[in-house]
Amino acid sequence: MEAIKNALDFSDFPRNDMIIALFVAVFLLFFPLFSKSTFAMATVIQFLMFSLYGMGWNTIGGYGGQVDLGKAQYVGIGAYTTAVMLIRWDIPFWFSMPIGMFFAVCWSFIIGYPLFRLKGHYFAIATIATSLVLKDIFEVWDLVGASRGLEISPIKYVPPDFLRLIFNSDIYYYYFILVFFFIGILYVNWFRKSRLGFQLRSIKDNEDVARSLGINVHWAKVKTYAIATAFVSFVGSFHACYIKNLEPEDTMSLDLSILIALMAMLGGAGSLWGPIIGAAVLIPLKTYLKEWLGAMGGLLGIDLIIYAGIIMLVSAVEPKGIWGIVQKVRRRKRA
Amino acid sequence: MDILVGSIAAGILIGMVLALMALGLTIIFGMMDIVNFAHGEFLMIGMYTGLLTAQTTGMDPLFTLPVAAAVGFLLGVICYYGFIMFLLRGPMVAQLLGTFGLMLFLRNLALLFFGPQEMVVHKGILVGKSFDMGMGIIMPATKLAAAGLSVVAFAAVWLLMHRTKIGKALTATSLNAQGARYMGIPTERMNALAWAIGGATVTIAGALLVNFWYVNPYVGILFTMIAFAIVALGGFGSVPGAFFAGLVVGIIMEIPGIWDFFTYTFDSDWMAEVPMTSFKYMWVYAAYFVIMVVRPRGLFGWKR
Repeated sequence: MEAIKNALDFSDFPRNDMIIALFVAVFLLFFPLFSKSTFAMATVIQFLMFSLYGMGWNTIGGYGGQVDLGKAQYVGIGAYTTAVMLIRWDIPFWFSMPIGMFFAVCWSFIIGYPLFRLKGHYFAIATIATSLVLKDIFEVWDLVGASRGLEISPIKYVPPDFLRLIFNSDIYYYYFILVFFFIGILYVNWFRKSRLGFQLRSIKDNEDVARSLGINVHWAKVKTYAIATAFVSFVGSFHACYIKNLEPEDTMSLDLSILIALMAMLGGAGSLWGPIIGAAVLIPLKTYLKEWLGAMGGLLGIDLIIYAGIIMLVSAVEPKGIWGIVQKVRRRKRA
Repeated sequence: MDILVGSIAAGILIGMVLALMALGLTIIFGMMDIVNFAHGEFLMIGMYTGLLTAQTTGMDPLFTLPVAAAVGFLLGVICYYGFIMFLLRGPMVAQLLGTFGLMLFLRNLALLFFGPQEMVVHKGILVGKSFDMGMGIIMPATKLAAAGLSVVAFAAVWLLMHRTKIGKALTATSLNAQGARYMGIPTERMNALAWAIGGATVTIAGALLVNFWYVNPYVGILFTMIAFAIVALGGFGSVPGAFFAGLVVGIIMEIPGIWDFFTYTFDSDWMAEVPMTSFKYMWVYAAYFVIMVVRPRGLFGWKR
């Protein structure tokens, strides 16, 4: 009961923020009713998925300050578990998703336990290395379709299949992921005020002091890593049912890991709204740039040049992200 | 036996070039604790420089090293003063993602200019020639020359770091930047110099590598990861460590060949069925992981 009350309690944000958030929530709820464009719909679904990825990353990377650049491996585990189970044994999403989550969390313990002894750069690069090892294994493993990948053919199922999450129209996927988007916000809102959340923030500020105060630093990190993994793996499972076509190159690439971390940082790591703002800026930018510029003949890669330019600008000029700018402006107003 | 010796020899040869490539990364890391994700992209630029200079002027690709070194030097200086200097003020997350942005930027710039197709060197004095050294070791002449020149370049950098005044200033800056500043060493300029040396060595390695390796805009990330593995194994910031670790990683990359040797020796069926060549680079990443867990300082590291 206490936990639910805490999760619903947003009172430490200014009222204006909550009004804006409410507007956005209402907009998202009614978005499919007035948008006829399937491209816009797909973009918003991408936005919701990446906000959830970002929220997961934010628990360990933002609140905990442990930069993880290997989140794509958990996306891969979740997505492949769901897809393999559906294709081979016809196990529906609602059963395979928790199993995938379980596998991902187990894997996160296996690699997290030794890796959290490392700090800073060392940890970040080590997560990349494990992610690439796993990707290489998936590229030759026959059970998961090797480098050809897996494809869920929707023909076998009767379309509005709520058990297996196979739909004809994007609108079902939209509302499904939207519900979990709100649940994710409430969860992170509870998390940041929980015991573990406070422990993590103290670890981020000063690990030695945190340890001397009796916090089990290593265990707190491993636990939070598992929470982050569960988020990412869930969205991975959804990704399998939504995209229906999995390849190690898309699902587990380094670019995806970096994109997840980048969004949280662009919005403002270590804040509740950061990953959402980051995803809201970056995902439409990325998809529309690709649509407008990538299609132009001869200008290969120009969309990614602009995108990389934004990354460089943000990291050099305002590393606290958009939320950091907002807070700076507010502080100046108050003063 | 032939296969085993041949694989190890090939591994050592490629390892020398890889060591030169990782040298820049380890110098930069030792100086300012920043991990450069764009390192492989610098290498790619070196490869394109070597290749295109050779194609336009008709020189042999082996003689394009000075051009590549100049390009790398400039690239390092521009990157430092234009971007990295600002990045160093921010937190670690920003540094990681910032250099990743630099990597994406350079990669796609190359894609825009050179297109996605693979390019290889076709002609040159040494291309296609090879020495038979007995014991079944057949050395392509290009690899031999590349390895030799790498060692020369490596020795030059080692001498610069240990026998000159500039090298002393560089070492002082990496040991204690604030103290060095009080002693009148221009640390900003030393940082820029570290980037310039790093850029020059890695582009030289690229120009050497292009003699026997394809180049396309996406080639960088593979070498970035290999360079990380080498630097981790040798110890972050250690120059001799980078050399020995380069040889080790070169041999690790030849594991498929060694595996073949054992498959033939034991004549075992299950060993023949393992798709070892697909795992070629996985061993490098796995080695990195194991080193980080077992000995985070690396073999020769002095920085934690």
